[in-house]
Amino acid sequence: MQPSEFIHRLQDIVGPDYVIHHPEDLLVYEYDGSVDRSMPRAVALPSDADQVSRVLALAYDEGVPLVGRGSGTGLSGGALAPPGGIQIAFTRMNRILEVDTENLTATIEPGVINLDLDTHVRKFGMRYAPDPSSQKACSLGGNIAENAGGPHCLAYGTTTNHVLGMEVALEDGTLVQLGGSARQVPGYDLRGVFVGSEGTFGIATKIKVRLLPLPETVRTFLGIFPDIESACSAVSAVIGHGIVPAALEMIDALSIRAVQNVTDAGYPDDAGAVLLIELEGLWEEVDEVSREVESALWETGANEVRVAEEDSERERLWLGRKTAFGAFGTIAPNYYLVDGVVPRTRLTQVLRKVSEVSEKYGIIIANVFHAGDGNLHPCMLFDEREPGVKERAMAGASELMEYCVEMGGSLSGEHGIGLEKKQFMPLVYTEHDMEAMRLVRDAFAPSGRLNPGKIFPDGEEYVPVTQRTPTQVDPDFYV
Amino acid sequence: MSRGDSSPPRDKPLTSPISQQLAGLLGADAVLPTDSYSIDDVVPPAVVQPGDRKGVAQVMRWASQTGAKVSPYGGGILAGLGNLPDRIDVVLDLSRLNRVTDYQPADLTATVEAGIALEDMRRELAHGEKLAPLEAPFPGRATIGGILATNCSGPLRFAYGLPRDWLIGVTVVGAGGQETKSGGRVVKNVTGYDLNKLYTGSLGTLGVILEASFKLTPRAEARAGLAASFPTLKEALSAGRSLVSQVFVPQGVQVVNRASAERLNLDLPNLPSGADGLILALAEGRPRATARRVEESASVLSDAGAANIDRLQESDTVSLAQRVTDLGWDEQTRPFLGLKIDLPPSVLEQFLDALQPVAGTGVIADVGFGTVQVFHWVNPFAQGGQEIDGAVAEIARVRALARSLGGTVVVEHCAKPVKAAIDVWEGCAGESELQIMRRIKEKFDPAGLLNPGRFIGRI
Repeated sequence: MQPSEFIHRLQDIVGPDYVIHHPEDLLVYEYDGSVDRSMPRAVALPSDADQVSRVLALAYDEGVPLVGRGSGTGLSGGALAPPGGIQIAFTRMNRILEVDTENLTATIEPGVINLDLDTHVRKFGMRYAPDPSSQKACSLGGNIAENAGGPHCLAYGTTTNHVLGMEVALEDGTLVQLGGSARQVPGYDLRGVFVGSEGTFGIATKIKVRLLPLPETVRTFLGIFPDIESACSAVSAVIGHGIVPAALEMIDALSIRAVQNVTDAGYPDDAGAVLLIELEGLWEEVDEVSREVESALWETGANEVRVAEEDSERERLWLGRKTAFGAFGTIAPNYYLVDGVVPRTRLTQVLRKVSEVSEKYGIIIANVFHAGDGNLHPCMLFDEREPGVKERAMAGASELMEYCVEMGGSLSGEHGIGLEKKQFMPLVYTEHDMEAMRLVRDAFAPSGRLNPGKIFPDGEEYVPVTQRTPTQVDPDFYV
Repeated sequence: MSRGDSSPPRDKPLTSPISQQLAGLLGADAVLPTDSYSIDDVVPPAVVQPGDRKGVAQVMRWASQTGAKVSPYGGGILAGLGNLPDRIDVVLDLSRLNRVTDYQPADLTATVEAGIALEDMRRELAHGEKLAPLEAPFPGRATIGGILATNCSGPLRFAYGLPRDWLIGVTVVGAGGQETKSGGRVVKNVTGYDLNKLYTGSLGTLGVILEASFKLTPRAEARAGLAASFPTLKEALSAGRSLVSQVFVPQGVQVVNRASAERLNLDLPNLPSGADGLILALAEGRPRATARRVEESASVLSDAGAANIDRLQESDTVSLAQRVTDLGWDEQTRPFLGLKIDLPPSVLEQFLDALQPVAGTGVIADVGFGTVQVFHWVNPFAQGGQEIDGAVAEIARVRALARSLGGTVVVEHCAKPVKAAIDVWEGCAGESELQIMRRIKEKFDPAGLLNPGRFIGRI
C-alpha cells in the first residue's frame, strides 16, 4: 500500500480531520517528557473503541508498528513512535462514562486526565488515589501503560492497585475484556500484568478504576531542615515509629531556591531541605500520629514545623512541591530526570552519591522526590547548547542508576523503562528473566509491532559508566 | 512444623521407578513416603522434597527431560483447588525451603522462601513489629507459596486487599528448570513487566515459586471487634452494607448466617436462638481509633435493628478472624460443596435473595469486598440417588445467577464425582481472555508439566 493510501484508509476510519500527517503538524507528537525524539508517520485520533480497533487492524494488516499516546507527559520515551510507526492519540476519548457510588468505581475512556477524574469523583465524596506529579495533564491510559505512581501511592499503592478491569484492543484490533468489576478475578491476572506493560501488550480503550472514600481528616506537615541528612533521618524516624503516612515527600535546597524564584512557597532562604508529610484517616488516629510525627521532626533537627488541616492551608504547604519541576526552568532550560528507587534506609547514602555525581560531571542536580517509598528523582539540570553537557548528564544519570541497583534498588519507581532506560535492564535482570517477560508480551502481541524497541535492550552488553574508556567522556571536561 | 523435619523411614524401599529416579537425583532423604499426600483423593506416585533451591531446579530439569507431571505443594491446605489433574507423577513439596532470607523492618520489606508457613513468617516478622497482611486457613501449615499460588485471602481483604497487592518480587523455577525473577525488594518498581501479578493466583501452572518479597505494614497496636445478630440474613446484609460506607468502617465486615456461625464454632453465647444473620466486624489500628470504629459501628447496627451486640476483646477478635478464614474446615474435612463467588459489592443483597439456599447451607459474605462463600457441609442432594446431578445443577444455577450480576464462581471444594462432572473455573474468563491465558501457558510450559489440566480453561 502506498503511504498516501494508508493515510486515506486511516482517514476513512477516524474522519479526515483526525489524521495528522503533515510534518509541521507532527512536530508536537515527536517528543514526550523525556530527552528522546521520534517523528511518527501519522497520528490517528479515534473517537471510540471501534475506531481504535479498526486503526489497529489496518496497521496490523499493513505491518505498521504503532503506539498509543495519552498526553505525552511520559518521562521514559514510552509514547514515542517506533521507527516508521504511527501513534494513536486519545485526546478525543476523554469521557467519564460512569461513576458508581455504591461500588466505588468509575468507568472512563483512556484519554481522561487524571486530575479531571479525581476532581469529578470528589463531588461524590470519593477520590482516585494515584496522583502523578503530572496529574493536571497526564491521561489514565498513559497511567496504565506506565503503572504511574505519585505522592499518595505511599499509602495507597500505584495504578495497578486501583484498576479493576479494562477493555483492551489487541494488535489485530480484537477487543478483549480483562478483569471486570470485582476486586478478585480468577484465572491468570491479565489486567495485573497488562498494567505497566508500556503499550506493548495492547491498547486500553475503556478502564474501570477503584475509587476510595474521602478520609475524615487530612493533616499536612511541613518540616524545614538545615540539611538533607537530617531530613533523611526524619524519614527513617517516621517510618521507624510504625507510621506509614499518606505521603512523605522531600525537597532539597536547590529545589527550594528554584521554587522561590517563581513563587513564594514560604520557604526560608537558608533551608537545606523540606519534608512534606500528609496524614489521613479518622480524627483520633491522625491526632495521635501527628504528635509522633511532630516529635520525630523536632528530634531529628527540624528548624521549623508547620501544620495545616484546612484545604487551602494544606494547598499552600504543597505549593512548593507541586511547582518544583516547572521552577527548574529558572535554573537551566533542559532537564533529565532519574527515577531510581532504593530501600528507604539507603536514602542518605544515595543522596550523598548524587552530590558526588554532580561534582564529578559538573552537572547541577536538584532533588524533589517520594522519600517515603525510597523513590528518588534526581533531576539533572543543564543547557543542551553547551557542547558535551548532555552527554555528561546522561553519564551521571547512568552512574546514579547503577548505584541505585547496587544499593538493592531498581531502575524505575514509576516512570517506566521505555527507550531511555532499556540499556540498563541487564543491571537488574538476567537474560532469562527478560526472556520470561518477553514470553508474556509474545502471548499478548505475537507480531511484536506494538511499541517495538522499548523496555528490552537491543542486545549489546551493558558496560557500567565507571568501567567505560575515558574517551567516552568529553575530553574537554574536567573537574 | 512441617513434615520436612521428620526423616523418611529408611527401611521402606522406594518402590516406584519415579521415586528411585528422584532419589538418584537428590538423594534418598529428599524422597518421601507418599501416603500422607493426596490430590483429589489420589495418592501421587512420588513425593520429592528438595532441601534447597538448586534441588527444585533439578527436579524441573528432570521433569522436562522425562515428561513427568509435577504438582508444586506447600502445606496442602488448598491442594484440592482446581479441576481433576490430567496426571500427576510427582508432588514437589517445598516445605524445606522455609527461611526468612531477608527482613528489613526499617524498609518495610521482607523476603521469604516459598515453603515457610504463614505463622512462622508472622512470628519472625513480629520481632520488628511488621507484617505482611496475608490470611490463610491453618496458618501453621499454609505456606507463602501456596497463598500466592491461590491468591487466597480472609476477612481483612476489604482493608488490605489480596496477596497480589503486597508481593513486590518473586523468584520462580520455570517448567524447564530455569530460575528467573521479577520485581525486586523495593516497594515501588516499574522495571520490566509485573510478572508478580501473573504468578499470583496461577495455581503453580507457570512455574514453581521459590522465594517472594513483600512490602510490609506496621503491626496494629490494637484490635477489637463486635458480633451483631439480626433476625434474618437479609437484615444483617442490609445493615452490613450500610456499615461499609461509613468513614469509621472496621477493617473487615463479614455477614454470616446461622449455619455458618455454628460451623465456624464462633462461640458466641449471646447469639439469640432465633437469629439467622450475624455481622462480624473486625477493627484494628491505633487504640482510640479502633475503639471508635467499634463503638460507632455498634450504634449504626443497633439503629439498623440488631437484636444483640457483643463487643469482642483483642484475643477474641484475632481468633474470630482466624475462624472465619478457616471456613469451618478441620484438618481432615472439607465441605461437600464450597463455592467462592466474587461480585460487585452492591449486588450482594440481590444475589443472596435470589440464591434461596436450602436449609443448612453456610453463607459468609464479605460485604465490603464482594466475596461470598457458600458451603454445603453435608450433601443436601443425597436423597433419591441425585447427589451428583443435584450438586451439578446447583452449581450451574449459582453460576447463572452470579453471571447475571457481573460475578464469577469458583468451585473451591466438591466431592470428586461432582468435580468430574464440572469445570471448577467455568465462566471465570471470556473466550478471548482465555485464549491469551492459553498462549501464556503454552509459552511458559509448552510440555504441560506443571499441574496440567487443573486451572482455568483446563490449562
